[in-house]
Amino acid sequence: MKYRITHTTTYQYSEPASLSQNELFFTPRATARQQVLQSQLSFDPQPQYLHRRIDYFGNIAHVFMVQQPHSRLTLTAASVVRTARNSRLQPQATPAWEEVGRRLQAHATAEELDAYQFVFASPMIAEAPGIRDYARISFPPGTPVLAGSIDLMRRMFAEFAYDKTASTVDTPVAQVLAGRRGVCQDFAHLAIACLRSLGLAARYVSGYLETLPPPGTPKLVGADASHAWLSLYVPGAGWIDLDPTNNVVPGESHLTLAWGRDYGDVAPVRGVVMGGGAHTLAVAVDVARVD
Amino acid sequence: MDHQPKPSGPAAAFAGSGLFAGLTCPQGAYCEAFAEDGQPREQWRAIVAAMDRATPERLRQRQERVKRMRHEDGATYNPFDAPDGRGTPWALEMVPLPLTAAEWSELERGLLQRARLLEQVLADVYGPQLLLKNGRMPAELIYANPRFLHACHGIQPNGGRFLSLYAADCYRGEDGRFRVLREYGGHPVGLGYALENRIVISRLLPELYHRTQIRRLAPFFQTLHTSLVQRSSLRREDPNIVLLSSGPDSPIYFEQALLSRYLGYPLVEGQDLTVRNGRLFLRKLAGLEPVDTIFRHIDDPHSDPFALRRGDVVGVAGLIQVAREQNIDIVNPIGAGFIDTPVLPVFLAELCDHLLGEPLMLASHPAWWCGEEQGRVQALARLETVRWQPALDRAHRLAADPHRALDEAAFAVMAQETVQPSLTPVWTQEGVHLRPTLLRLFVCATEEGFAVLPGGLAMTAHDVDTLLAAVPERLLSKDIWVLSDEPVEPFSMLGTLHSVGEFRRSSDLPSRVADHLLWLGRYLERAEGQVRLLRSVFRRLSGEARPEDIPELAFLLDLVRAIGMIPPLPENGEVPQDELAGQLTEALYRQDRPASVAVVLKQVQEAARNVRDRLSRDSWRVINRLEDFGDNPAADPLDLLDNTLFTLSAFSGLAMEGMTRGLGWRFMDMGRRIERALHEIDLIRYGLPQVCRAQHNALEALLEVSDSIMTYRARYRTAFQLAPVLDLLLLDESNPKSLAFQLDQLAAHVEELPRPGERRYASAEERMTLEMLTAIRLLDLTGLACNSGGPENDDPLNRFLETMATRLLAFAQQVGAHYLTRVAATPHFSLRLGDGA
Repeated sequence: MKYRITHTTTYQYSEPASLSQNELFFTPRATARQQVLQSQLSFDPQPQYLHRRIDYFGNIAHVFMVQQPHSRLTLTAASVVRTARNSRLQPQATPAWEEVGRRLQAHATAEELDAYQFVFASPMIAEAPGIRDYARISFPPGTPVLAGSIDLMRRMFAEFAYDKTASTVDTPVAQVLAGRRGVCQDFAHLAIACLRSLGLAARYVSGYLETLPPPGTPKLVGADASHAWLSLYVPGAGWIDLDPTNNVVPGESHLTLAWGRDYGDVAPVRGVVMGGGAHTLAVAVDVARVD
Repeated sequence: MDHQPKPSGPAAAFAGSGLFAGLTCPQGAYCEAFAEDGQPREQWRAIVAAMDRATPERLRQRQERVKRMRHEDGATYNPFDAPDGRGTPWALEMVPLPLTAAEWSELERGLLQRARLLEQVLADVYGPQLLLKNGRMPAELIYANPRFLHACHGIQPNGGRFLSLYAADCYRGEDGRFRVLREYGGHPVGLGYALENRIVISRLLPELYHRTQIRRLAPFFQTLHTSLVQRSSLRREDPNIVLLSSGPDSPIYFEQALLSRYLGYPLVEGQDLTVRNGRLFLRKLAGLEPVDTIFRHIDDPHSDPFALRRGDVVGVAGLIQVAREQNIDIVNPIGAGFIDTPVLPVFLAELCDHLLGEPLMLASHPAWWCGEEQGRVQALARLETVRWQPALDRAHRLAADPHRALDEAAFAVMAQETVQPSLTPVWTQEGVHLRPTLLRLFVCATEEGFAVLPGGLAMTAHDVDTLLAAVPERLLSKDIWVLSDEPVEPFSMLGTLHSVGEFRRSSDLPSRVADHLLWLGRYLERAEGQVRLLRSVFRRLSGEARPEDIPELAFLLDLVRAIGMIPPLPENGEVPQDELAGQLTEALYRQDRPASVAVVLKQVQEAARNVRDRLSRDSWRVINRLEDFGDNPAADPLDLLDNTLFTLSAFSGLAMEGMTRGLGWRFMDMGRRIERALHEIDLIRYGLPQVCRAQHNALEALLEVSDSIMTYRARYRTAFQLAPVLDLLLLDESNPKSLAFQLDQLAAHVEELPRPGERRYASAEERMTLEMLTAIRLLDLTGLACNSGGPENDDPLNRFLETMATRLLAFAQQVGAHYLTRVAATPHFSLRLGDGA
């Protein structure tokens, strides 16, 4: 499927900001099932400084600076990507989770060595009591790793409430587990924490999801949103995406921006402003099919 | 790897007669000073003899001098709150630790090799990561290590130098060989203290020092400086080097200030620096000045709150981006703290074989990493004797039970063999004791390779555990003397680096420093005005006369009320005597009232602390006396106020005298002038109606609190009359307390402030001061007298003064906005990731 993504972020400052410095993970990366056909960033006002690089995880990162006083900053990323269906891996046919853990620990291949870095706690996903116990329910001994992970996702979907007021950008996973509520970022973090507690490799994926309006109503432009899910390493099959917010194995309608150990590695926009007083933020995302 | 103490024969006691008599080296430890036959080792003979000759009393005096010299140099956090030396990092103890040329050359070669090795390790870890990919380094060392900074991966440091300053804690084991216990690359500390110790000890023991051939420290600093200049001049001739400090709150701020002075690099804080177009700049009064090199004195994680995702404000937002662009030389490159990883030394022997193709000369202290089966077995075999330590993150707390810790995360655990550092004699009040000792040694990059500081910081503690805990405030330090077989050439840094740095510094200064100096001036003046006013009140209250018989008392109290130091009069106009006494006590001591003397004095100290490196040693000592204020509420308020006024005057005198008439001095003096002018306006505005309500003596009191009574008497020799008093306080430009004098001074200062471009037009500040000065010069006081209807609220003089106060405040704001603007940086994050459902 081919999509055009338009993501606009606007900062409005109560007083003029003299200087703003930002890092963006705003440009989609190519993946096994995603081809990036076009991508373009635009800024208003124009930054005096712009730098592009590939980060440690292979994501496309931009750093830019606006160095004159401004009371408003708008960033727009426009991209065209083509996505493929997922490979329809048979969950029951994947190796037992204990075996996966052993292979990661041994990391005998380059691929396993690379996956191994996603086994450890990361700045925003700390180890916490209770997480492993919660995870183990889905992983009786010998459970195929993907079957267990899909069960974990199903349980989280059933037991957790989607609640935008329950958390902030840095809510710890232990609190999400205790409160049984949060948003996609929290669910992704918690699921990753669960899988890592079992010695499995899981990474955080930032991206978009195409939303379809109820039948008969027109799709509203800009009504889509940033989204986040996770990816599990399965030896032999590679990285398999899982979306606990929607209880689905992502396919064509999940569009990937970047991945890392957690949200902190790939926050779409992060920055520092000098001055500027209070700021407000408006985000509009539009994901549209292109024929 | 295996380290078993060799059995050794019973050591003999030292046979000498004096101080060292009877000292015995216990078994299982190497004794630095004495050989096994109980005789002093060759390199110790001169020191032992010199100390044996001195009487205990003389030694006590010497140690006192050491402490005092360190205090005077400002090496203590606060010289006056820690009289026993506690709270002082690495308090200096006088017995030096000598090392022979042969011992040193072994250590030196070992350290040079380790530095080369560690630099290659860093180059790989932050580059191709072949050690990881080829299994030469455990993956956990990178993947589970907070000391590995993802944001710094791929950065090519200036000149390819991944490690330009390195420190190692070494000890000498029972077998007489040196080993490395810990290494530092993120923020090696102690270099300044090593330098300070040498300065103090060479002054304390001049004869011994000059008779012995001791290698000098200065050439090392010259080398450090030369290599910095050489690397930076790849980009620019005459590079700008700054020393990035963690600020005056740091317990080792002294070291940063000392190195700044010694090397001639301006001492700056994170907020002095800013990033533009991928380059780094220093904010100065005249504008932004490019920076080429940072001598960094803050640790890795705090270096860049932007790239490293931290909320703190110590570092420089965007610094890592500047490094990515290769527009800066940082000592050390951010991320070099990877070599601080506690378990890394375990792998260095193998890495040395692999990377350098040579055996590791200076061994690491025996330890085992529990992330590997083999290491775990070795560690558990020594369960009772080893020290269980975090392997990756020094701040990580392991479970008390090693089995439990291994269960939780074996890769995070290491086991260290028991450490038996050699013993050195340490002089204390009770005599000489043998104490375990670590040597912190320093290595810096040179043009081609590395150089070792021939000396360092020897650290001793009462016991091994305290020594290893490495809290600087709980350790004593010694000067390390590296003996030379050849005569030592005298060498000094002075004249080579010093003068250049000082010269450059005087021409301009960071805005932050100017801001603090301006406020220091304002707070000082504010404190002086308040103290003077309250002193006039207490002087009258402490006399024999009853309060109601002192006509000017009500006048003075009204002034105290007018400036908000005590509550306003109630409706009935009566305050009971005891309530008034309570109010006045609060005006002195209350911590939660913005206008109390205690609070303003605190502000003075705070502002002074922020510019401590700009103040002379003497003025810093004086400012510390202000701490006593409020310690003793039972003290006579009049004495206390007298003393405080004296201290404030002494400080002002010293600070102003000791400063060159540069921009720093101008900003401090502008602060004083602004505040004094505002205070004088307040006194006259609020005082004048009272004066005219026929309270005699009030005019005299007004002159008294304006500190102009002597001038009045000298000039007029008449009774106090309104017109001459006002003339003296407002218009007389030769009276240093008059309003006109303050404005005249301000006008002189703003003419000298830096401005961009050519001076074709007057600056806004110049126009404002000129306006105020002209207004006061044109003020006509003729005909002003109380009987002419009297100055009331709407009279021209009152309106004039009110306008003047408004203009002064606008002027202060203009100066702030133009030169001193400090805007807060607020991190912003992208909005919550939204609804994908």
